[in-house]
Amino acid sequence: MAEHLEKCPDCRAEADEMRRALEKTEAVKAEIRQAVASVNWEALPATVADRAFAASRKPERALPAARPWGGLSALRMKPALAGLAAGLVVGAATMYFALKAPGLRPGQDTGYYASGEFLDRAELTMARRNTLDYLEKSQYVLLDVFESAGEGAAGPAAFNSEQARDLLSRKKYLNAQLERFQMAKAKAVCDQIEMLFLELAQISDELPAAELGRIRYFVEERQLLLKINLVKKELQSEI
Amino acid sequence: MKKLTVLIGLFVVLSLGSGLYAQTTPDESLFREAKLLVYDKSWAAALIKLDDLREKFPNSSYAGQSLFYKGECLSGLGGRERDALRAYKDYIRLADAKPSLVEESEGSIIDLAFGLYENGDVPAIGDIERRLGHDNKVVRYYAAYKLSLVRDKKLAAKAAPVLMRIVETEKDPELLDRARIALLRVSPESLKSVEDRKPAPGSPRMLKIRVWNKGQKEPAFSLNIPWALADLALGAMDEDDRAELRKKGYDLNKIVNELAKSKESILKIVGDDGSVIEIWIE
Repeated sequence: MAEHLEKCPDCRAEADEMRRALEKTEAVKAEIRQAVASVNWEALPATVADRAFAASRKPERALPAARPWGGLSALRMKPALAGLAAGLVVGAATMYFALKAPGLRPGQDTGYYASGEFLDRAELTMARRNTLDYLEKSQYVLLDVFESAGEGAAGPAAFNSEQARDLLSRKKYLNAQLERFQMAKAKAVCDQIEMLFLELAQISDELPAAELGRIRYFVEERQLLLKINLVKKELQSEI
Repeated sequence: MKKLTVLIGLFVVLSLGSGLYAQTTPDESLFREAKLLVYDKSWAAALIKLDDLREKFPNSSYAGQSLFYKGECLSGLGGRERDALRAYKDYIRLADAKPSLVEESEGSIIDLAFGLYENGDVPAIGDIERRLGHDNKVVRYYAAYKLSLVRDKKLAAKAAPVLMRIVETEKDPELLDRARIALLRVSPESLKSVEDRKPAPGSPRMLKIRVWNKGQKEPAFSLNIPWALADLALGAMDEDDRAELRKKGYDLNKIVNELAKSKESILKIVGDDGSVIEIWIE
């Protein structure tokens, strides 16, 4: 081939051209190697993404007036970006509803709530306490009446019919609870006391000695104070 | 000897009778006899006496009152609730009706109406609803309390404004607790708004309790109630949970007092079966 190139000027010229081209390729290869060596491959994706976002924001800034849906056109143009944004929205919504759900996390729920079963138990506890209180107060009122009868005194100082009216109004609430929670013994005693207070509440000015004697006789004959004490003991043991 | 015993017995009865019924007129005697039967819940016998009184002595001062006791008897007999309702309504319309008996009659009307409604007489509830605006607050409050117990939640919620008023203005702790529990049943959000309006600087507002069974994400028991009901709430806690706390040496009252002092700190108790109880105050 060397002998031929020496004899043929055309082939020699073509071979020279090829040699020059190859020399140039070698030079490019060296440049590529140099460029590749200078690249930080770990940081490259972030750099590319930054440049991509920067490129997509630039045209928006150039818009004469801001449009609320302007970002959507960018998302339409970039499916991957749209997917990422949709994921963020769904995730945020899930977090919002999870944190909003009541009763699961201490401090997150601020409303009141209690089950019907619990409220029933609370009412039962209240019924026991209030019945006990009602019986104690009734005892005091009855003893007041007896003391008055014993002294032979009569009149507003001896007995306050307001107390009887107050106890009567309390008894209304107890009725419903005593029936509901089947507190039969307590209800029987409370009912008897109620009838006495009904009498006492009607006396506004003076309580005649004969009336006092009649009530005292009734209470003693039915052993009402003893019954009150027995029911009180039962209720105290349950509270 | 037998004769002597009978004579002594008769003497005792007569002396008691003469002492107790001295200077009584026949209508008064009849009225007292009827009332004694009412005390003993001998409704039918008492009713006969009361009807007798009204028939024989229509102008007696006891004739009016006998209507109230007639209501009591009819109500006690059972099955005659509508007649009882009528007797009470007749009594409160009387010009000389006694205020204490009127108040009692109103309460009985509410109770009877509630019972009739629960047994399917829907219009009967109107007697309770109308009393939500009664002039006498004792009647108004009781109507609201009873209405809060009806099963129809929409209807029960009509009691909320009166119950809120009780929580806002009343001082009696018994009445307040009842109103709070009734509001928790019918409208917890109304209770929250009333409690939030009340000034309570520095004091806790809400007690929270959660009980988790082992391996469950959702609590088996949840409770958020006003601090004012804390004592009642702890008293009403399930016996098993209370036993668990006792077993671990915890005193519920102490726990609440400690939590009230520390504010927002959580007491967490893990049971032997893996259940967890959390109690805290906000």
